[in-house]
Amino acid sequence: MSARILIIEDEALVAMELRFVLEDLGYEIAGVCATAKAALDAVRETEVDLALVDIHLSDGATGIELGRRLGQEMGVTVLFMTANPGMVRDGVAGTIGVLSKPTDERAVQTAVDYALRRRQGQPVQYAPPGLQLFG
Amino acid sequence: MTTLPADAAPAWDEVERLAALRGYGVLDTEPEKAFDDIAQLAARICDAPIALVSLLDKERQWFKAEVGLGVRETPLSTSFCAHALLQETGMVIPDAIKDPRFDCNPLVTGEPHLRFYAGRLLTTPNGLPLGTLCVLDTEPRPEGLTDLQAMALETLAGQVMTQLELRRALRQRDESEDTTRRALAASDYIGAWDWDVVADRVAADERFAIMYGVDPALAVAGAPISTFMGHVHSEDTPRLQAEIQAAMDGDGTFVSEYRVAPPGQALRWILARGQVYFDREGAPVRFAGVSVDVTTRKQKDADLAAIASRLSESEARFRVLADAMPQMIWATTPTGFHDYYNARWYEFTGVPVGSTDGEGWNDMFHPDDQERAWERWRHSLATGDPYEIEYRLKHHSGVYRWTLGRAMPLRDETGEIVRWFGTCTDIDELKKLEQGRELVSQELSHRIKNIFAVVSALVALSARQYPEARAFAASLRTRINALARAHEFVRPHTETSRTTVGATTLHSFLTDLFTAYADETGAARVRVTGDDAVFDDQAATSVALLFHELATNAAKYGALSTREGRVELDTRRDGDRFILTWTETGGPPVEGPPTRGGFGSSLATLSVEGQLGGRLTRDWRAEGLRIVADLPATALSRRRAAEKQENRL
Repeated sequence: MSARILIIEDEALVAMELRFVLEDLGYEIAGVCATAKAALDAVRETEVDLALVDIHLSDGATGIELGRRLGQEMGVTVLFMTANPGMVRDGVAGTIGVLSKPTDERAVQTAVDYALRRRQGQPVQYAPPGLQLFG
Repeated sequence: MTTLPADAAPAWDEVERLAALRGYGVLDTEPEKAFDDIAQLAARICDAPIALVSLLDKERQWFKAEVGLGVRETPLSTSFCAHALLQETGMVIPDAIKDPRFDCNPLVTGEPHLRFYAGRLLTTPNGLPLGTLCVLDTEPRPEGLTDLQAMALETLAGQVMTQLELRRALRQRDESEDTTRRALAASDYIGAWDWDVVADRVAADERFAIMYGVDPALAVAGAPISTFMGHVHSEDTPRLQAEIQAAMDGDGTFVSEYRVAPPGQALRWILARGQVYFDREGAPVRFAGVSVDVTTRKQKDADLAAIASRLSESEARFRVLADAMPQMIWATTPTGFHDYYNARWYEFTGVPVGSTDGEGWNDMFHPDDQERAWERWRHSLATGDPYEIEYRLKHHSGVYRWTLGRAMPLRDETGEIVRWFGTCTDIDELKKLEQGRELVSQELSHRIKNIFAVVSALVALSARQYPEARAFAASLRTRINALARAHEFVRPHTETSRTTVGATTLHSFLTDLFTAYADETGAARVRVTGDDAVFDDQAATSVALLFHELATNAAKYGALSTREGRVELDTRRDGDRFILTWTETGGPPVEGPPTRGGFGSSLATLSVEGQLGGRLTRDWRAEGLRIVADLPATALSRRRAAEKQENRL
């Protein structure tokens, strides 16, 4: 069974492109949400292994708190994907790290791979380039 | 030789007696008519040749008056009177030869051969004997004195005491007057007067006369009160007269301050104190007192009042000014005790006047700002450095408003701080604008980045339909991403956004750019060294594209395509040039310059030579490619350089 990934991004084109990239890599897309509320509803309704969270969403800069909740309270592995990595410079409890947008396919692939390995408790030797880890 | 019986016990204390005698101040004084007259009369009435007013001193008896003896004193040992002291009232010796007390007395056995003595004690009101009034004869008188003579002697003895008392009273009065006179003489500014109300005659001393501009001779002789009142200042005369009348109608105490204007002299201020004396019917008969010249004191008082008035005027002006100003104004003592706030402060805060005196001001600050403000204020108090701080101040509506607090010390001639003056300026609007600007800036930045992300996604999405365009799309995307990254570093930053981004310099940008090429352990494979620089938005595109190309090519064909390969990027300022040197090592062996120039190389050259106005050279060394970009020092921050130029002009 392939991992189910939730994309939380308010820019439609960016979300669509990311979706294609992930599907090409063999992952299942659990959903695409543009607001924190939609994301929380989606996680409650369906299985989500990994969430790729943008900080700035339709309803404001709600991504940080959303990521924390998903990670700490709802058992989702969280990676931030944002053009403002500085906003989570000090890390966010319950989440893995942050990817700087704009990304490339390679960066997305290695980061997602890394995050899923961590979720399964597999030892990981290296941090993929472009992924800033928290803690 | 007459001796006092050994067993005689006087009823009085000799020390006391002598002291009382001294108190009359009569010993060794000149004869006085009153006492001489008494002695004369005693002698006549008693028909005796010798009469004495005898006072018994320690070792002698001394005669205030004597008739028929010829000496003023005789030793105590031969004194008859010494014995008289031991008796109750008077002593009579009819015949001295027959008296065992006196039969050996030289005055009896020899000259003047005294046989008869009759004496009457002179005693003080307290009962202390001072001496006697006595008469002596050379003939014995067995029958003694007649009743009349005895009565006369008694009466006259009483008279002697009366005279002594009077003398003493007068002497005391003279002494006290003398003291007063000396005291008055010691001070130039006090004069004394004595007004016989009934006769309307003021007797006054010289000083008093001079004070009032009256001829001293006239004053000493005595003049009607109008002579002196005439020189009192016309404005004060009615009041003075009223005060004199009040003293006379009341208990007699008088105090008054008024001016005298002696003709041809300067105006004087007089403070007069006196006492009215009344007869048995309660009518005033005498009015005496002293006057003191208080002109100097009055002048000082007037000067002080003028200064106080000027100060209070100046203070009043300050307050008017302070209350008119649009800013809040406050002041403190040198120790920082706030004791003044202007009207603006109370209007803003809405607190009761005086409730923020002392240290109450701190409670008006936002809790998060209180400690910071205290620390800043304490520093200023200790060092005298001007005080400046931005904080949130509680408005009367309940909200906090951003305020700029500033204060400066006021120093005296010695440099000591005597007061702190401060202002509070409402900068809430400004702060909001600033915050608004910050938001706009962030918003802008976010949008720009978003645009890059969207464009990048668009390229990828569009390319999906054209598989043959995949490589092209990927390559294009990386360039777009590099641009996006560069622009994050150059967008205008405010205080807040700068901290989230970190340093926005060349090295930090490069380091960020090259993280994608790190090895598995995360170690950087492109090492950035040398002088850092700032680059602005005009250079951002060129910088991004240049290094993106260099890294991409190195990753495809050069040092970054092998595990061991490394790149040294050294940036150096050299005079008015900025040199960037890219050196590859550990990559595949280099065979020389490529036969065809790739588009990437053209882009790099275009960036350096076109946009940045520098020179790009490639050195295809066998051990690895070396590229040098030689730029004008201003190339990276052309805008700032232009600004500097403008400012200099």
